[in-house]
Amino acid sequence: MVVGLIVLIVVIVAVILLILGTGIVIYNSVISLRNKVDNSWHQIDVQLRKRYDLIPNLVETVKGYAAHEKETLEKVISARKLGIDAKTVTDQAKAENMISDTLKSLFAVSERYPNLKADTHFSRLMEQLSGIESNIAYARQFYNDMVMKFNTRIQTFPGNIFAKMFSFTKKDYFEIEDTAARGPVKVEF
Amino acid sequence: MYEHIAKNRAKTVLIIIGFVFFLSLIGYFLGMYFDYRYGMGAAFSVTLMIIALVIAIFASFGSYYFSDRIVLSMTRAKPVSREEDPRLYYMVEGLSIAAGIPMPLIYTIQDQGMNAFATGRNPGKGVIVFTKGLLENLDDEELKGVISHELAHIKNYDILLGTIIVVMVGIVSIIANIMARLLFFGGRGRRSSKGSGGNIIMIVVLIVGVLFIIISPVIAMVIRMAISRNREYLADSTGALISRYPPGLASALKKISSYSEVGSASSATAHLFISNPLGKKSRVMFKSLFNTHPPLKERIERLNEMSLGILTK
Repeated sequence: MVVGLIVLIVVIVAVILLILGTGIVIYNSVISLRNKVDNSWHQIDVQLRKRYDLIPNLVETVKGYAAHEKETLEKVISARKLGIDAKTVTDQAKAENMISDTLKSLFAVSERYPNLKADTHFSRLMEQLSGIESNIAYARQFYNDMVMKFNTRIQTFPGNIFAKMFSFTKKDYFEIEDTAARGPVKVEF
Repeated sequence: MYEHIAKNRAKTVLIIIGFVFFLSLIGYFLGMYFDYRYGMGAAFSVTLMIIALVIAIFASFGSYYFSDRIVLSMTRAKPVSREEDPRLYYMVEGLSIAAGIPMPLIYTIQDQGMNAFATGRNPGKGVIVFTKGLLENLDDEELKGVISHELAHIKNYDILLGTIIVVMVGIVSIIANIMARLLFFGGRGRRSSKGSGGNIIMIVVLIVGVLFIIISPVIAMVIRMAISRNREYLADSTGALISRYPPGLASALKKISSYSEVGSASSATAHLFISNPLGKKSRVMFKSLFNTHPPLKERIERLNEMSLGILTK
């Protein structure tokens, strides 16, 4: 009788420990995935900041040769400001798409100025820019991979239980608008 | 993938333990041999074993911390600066962001053969080495394929195992060489006065010595098994996941297959390279059995299947 009771208690304790242990492992894996998403967002941020730093320089250089293309230049600057002020992933993605678009029209404009194209400073800036833009694309790829992993984990069993308990929410993808914008902007000299 | 990393770590530990054990054993038998030949006393073999053990432990630590540098100097690789090759730096930087690992250092080998390898002890200390021939002959997409393949090796911790093996096997084969010389060309020393007991020791030492000579090629085979061709396939597919463009690597491998020989590569470092760098030097019997690299044709086919999979999804 007493032996039976002891066995029962041991079994119950063992089951509780097992559930608790599994719970801790799963909880930790969700947290580590969430940190990976945050870290990969930071990677994008680093590259975006590099582009913000480069844009004023680029605008100044273009101004030197094509000052009357004011409208195009101002669009680039306002898109950059939008990107710096963006708070959420979706806003940021929107602003970055806008920057890419305005930069593209800036390149189209610069095509009309042979002197500008011949400027070594300008061509070096363009080279840096295309490097940064392809890095942004790679960082976005890594970020979206991590977001997918995290979202799958908190939507599938048993992660979804924890998602409810600790109110983990789905992370947003860093989307690009049109198919033409996929991949880095190709710059021809 | 995490399973593969864990396996790589376990294999590395196993190889280090095997190495330490092996060297201690050699110390012990060497001591027995000296005792027999020059009458150093029975304690001498134990002393020698302990010395060998200490050396082995130091060598293990040494090869953990320095094997990447040893490999780089063995293959005569030199660092490249960002100013010398900005295109390459941008590609490696971007792809390591996509792989989610720190940017590795970039080295080149002055050789017209097309090849590349990665070394280092962890992703934070990664190094990718390209030959000049590779950089000159591949276009951007192909080069990205090769970079992704090497980044995959770094991410999977293949580099630690592969690099440590170079140094440890090097040490063991040098010792095997010395043992062989000692046995067959050893000078006439003072015979111990132990009589028939000494003969037994002599026979044991002789057997060990002969075993060493037989073992050398076996060691080479063990490396190949530990390294396993599977990790090349795995790095190909992980690499394709990083570059998102399997045809790039497929077309690079096709180009590389025409001329992948690297002058400064040896059988000790061959398993590190993306494609066999020994070329005609390695044509031996049972070639496919002793190969460190899977046939390029098979790798290209698998990559093509992957691209089809991506297109139909």
